[in-house]
Amino acid sequence: MATVKRLSIMLLMMAMIVSLAACGGDNKGADGNSTGSANSGGKTSTDDGKIDTSKFETITYVVLGDKPKNGQLEKVMAKVNAIMKEKINAELQFKWVEWADWQTKYNLLLASGEPLDLITIGTDWLDTWGNAQRGAFLPLNDLLPKYAPQTWAEVPQEDWDQSKYKKDIVLIPENHFTQWVNHGIFYRGDWAKEFGIDKPITDFETLGKYFQGVKDNKKVIPWDVNGTNGALYGGFAAAYTDNIELPISTGYANVFYGKSYDERYTVDSPIFNDDFIKFATMMKEWGDKGYWREDVLNYKGDTRTELQAGQTGADQHHTQTFKGLRVQMDKKQPGSELQMFAFSDTRGNLISMPITHGGTSVGAHSKHPERALMAYELIRQNEEIYHLINYGIEGVQYEIKDGKRDLPAGYDETRDKFYTDFWGGRVDRFEIPSVNDWDQIGEIYKKYDAIKKPFPYGKFVFDKTAVDPYMTAISQVIGEKMPAIIYGKAGDPVKAVNDLRDKLKAAGYDKVKDEIQRQLDEYKKLDQG
Amino acid sequence: MEAVQKRIRTDAASVAVRAFGYVFIGLFSLCCLLPFLLVLGTSFTAEGAITKFGFNIWPREFSTFAYKIVFENPDQILGAYAVTIGITLVGTAVGLFLVAMTGYALQRPDFEYRNGISFFIYFTTLFSGGIVPFYLLMTQYLSLKDNYLAVLLPGLMSPFLIIMMKSFTKSIPHAITESAKIDGAGDFTIFMRLILPMTTPALATIGLFIALGYWNEWYHAMLFLSPDMKYRPLQLFLYNVITSADFIRNSSASSNVPLSDMPLESMKMATAVVATGPVILFYPFIQKYFIQGITVGAVKG
Repeated sequence: MATVKRLSIMLLMMAMIVSLAACGGDNKGADGNSTGSANSGGKTSTDDGKIDTSKFETITYVVLGDKPKNGQLEKVMAKVNAIMKEKINAELQFKWVEWADWQTKYNLLLASGEPLDLITIGTDWLDTWGNAQRGAFLPLNDLLPKYAPQTWAEVPQEDWDQSKYKKDIVLIPENHFTQWVNHGIFYRGDWAKEFGIDKPITDFETLGKYFQGVKDNKKVIPWDVNGTNGALYGGFAAAYTDNIELPISTGYANVFYGKSYDERYTVDSPIFNDDFIKFATMMKEWGDKGYWREDVLNYKGDTRTELQAGQTGADQHHTQTFKGLRVQMDKKQPGSELQMFAFSDTRGNLISMPITHGGTSVGAHSKHPERALMAYELIRQNEEIYHLINYGIEGVQYEIKDGKRDLPAGYDETRDKFYTDFWGGRVDRFEIPSVNDWDQIGEIYKKYDAIKKPFPYGKFVFDKTAVDPYMTAISQVIGEKMPAIIYGKAGDPVKAVNDLRDKLKAAGYDKVKDEIQRQLDEYKKLDQG
Repeated sequence: MEAVQKRIRTDAASVAVRAFGYVFIGLFSLCCLLPFLLVLGTSFTAEGAITKFGFNIWPREFSTFAYKIVFENPDQILGAYAVTIGITLVGTAVGLFLVAMTGYALQRPDFEYRNGISFFIYFTTLFSGGIVPFYLLMTQYLSLKDNYLAVLLPGLMSPFLIIMMKSFTKSIPHAITESAKIDGAGDFTIFMRLILPMTTPALATIGLFIALGYWNEWYHAMLFLSPDMKYRPLQLFLYNVITSADFIRNSSASSNVPLSDMPLESMKMATAVVATGPVILFYPFIQKYFIQGITVGAVKG
């Protein structure tokens, strides 16, 4: 018996030692090595400074999405790689991380030390700074000027600064691509005119008039929204306060905002703004008047489909959606003149998307980072390759009519569908407008450009470990109370808002707020240092 | 003993008890069946009708569109079926054999290190190394990425099933093993010729557990089998059908996917039907073993 005991203890010790050793083993490179000598591919340049591309390489590019299985990807890539081979003696190969549990898989892929070349990143949704901290990406400071000179030159210095972890550039931002994901309410221009609203709607009060008009004249629910949509809260914050949203999620609605763009390092909350009670009161009126359905909080219908069928007078989403929906509506409800009241229209409270929402990094264990950057340079700077990767083959996936992309005659979705989910460096100058995008969208972009402020929290990552339980409690309170308040179903609005505030305080609102403030102060030093 | 003619007692009380039993069990099975019928019915309903009327056992607007989407490329789904059936058959056969051997060996009183080894097997159930080491082990050290073995190996033996097998074989008297030894049989012969035939109920039960595990396996497949493989297990294939539809619907139109009318709800149901169908057909054939196996350990009067 004693031998058994001894033996098992020994085995156990061995198991522990092995597992510890394994833990130690995969920690190399996790200390954010800022030396970043990228000499893994042996000699890469000859003595006279010319780049040596005599050896054929395969460059992998990790993208998110489902791998297209209809054979079109292979056809397009054959064309892309013909150019790649000629120019840099390499081929490009996409590796897909599917949507099934993508967060786990993406992070595992980066943690595994596999030799990945190019990787899609996004600081606001792919935990890019966390991965950078774990040493998943190769520092690019020395490589970019040499191997991707055009990209190096076109990205302004302040954008490179936004792409740094400590002192290392760890990603190439998608900074030349216009995307607006600021929210608002879509309404029908023809109906608005009918009710005597001649100017575009730019505030909630006028929107209320429009809803009343629909209610009185149209026999449909003015806005048949479902209660899972929390956009009204963000709408309030943009239209009635100068607060700007912090990238800190508290579920259904985000409690914590920056005080204003000028005071962006001060934490604040729209919920504790005096006007929030006024807003809640107005929403109570709207709810009572039937601007949305009585059981809005349990309704699970599809508002967009209803709008297209003429069954409701409004819908809610962001500008990117509006761009396509406008065209759809022109087809399905001719003359509807769909308009968008962007919440930022009221007082010009508009923050751009982070330029690092999309981008590309090079893997820390890439075997040929130089060639990887050269391949990236081609995707971003070579119009032919750009069009192939983003749109497919002209005549098969698209044809150009009057300068716009349309589907060719005989296009079959199942047979001809093609995409690469390349979101790591699109550029406006190579984009071909689609017939499915509203051609006047440029006007809206111009309006935004006049008032936009840069996203100030690109490198701010809130570490919630110290206050995690409070965050969870706050999210629960919000999920429970907020929907009823913004749809006016919480009884007396004054009482409801005060109750919400008390509950938030009880859940640890102040503790979290102090912690955010502490981290914002640190961030300020880093940001301005 | 003279043969007694077995007769069902027919006094009022037993009839009442029996009637109650039948009615109760009948209702209970109906309760189990209803959700499945609901799934089946909904899978044949047009998406529009689902948003209007909710789920129904009888489709209000009959449509096979959801199945059209699921079976969009029949080659894919048939390949997925083949992979899953293959993995299930091989995995169940090998896993069952290993579990049975382990379970038997661990309860042999003449096996000196049985407690130590049992302790090791149980001990693993208490701690897990976490997903990153597991992933590294499978991909870096064993190089099992994009290899069906990555799905096969982790499910072969589970401590729980080994414990189950061990406790079942305990009920077989050790004297049988000893007498066979005296007759000159080796350990392996004893196991194959004597023990295995006596443990069929347990084997059927454990086999079913393992088989179900492999049939429903998608997580390891998701981790280790990349989309570069031509065919991947059925559950992962179906999961991808749903998530991509979900994503396309909710995506911020960041890609150039035209927002088509994806039959989401009905499609989920169709997926469930496609995934569970064969299991339901397969189950009646091994049910009798299953019942026997579950009652192992219950005192038989």
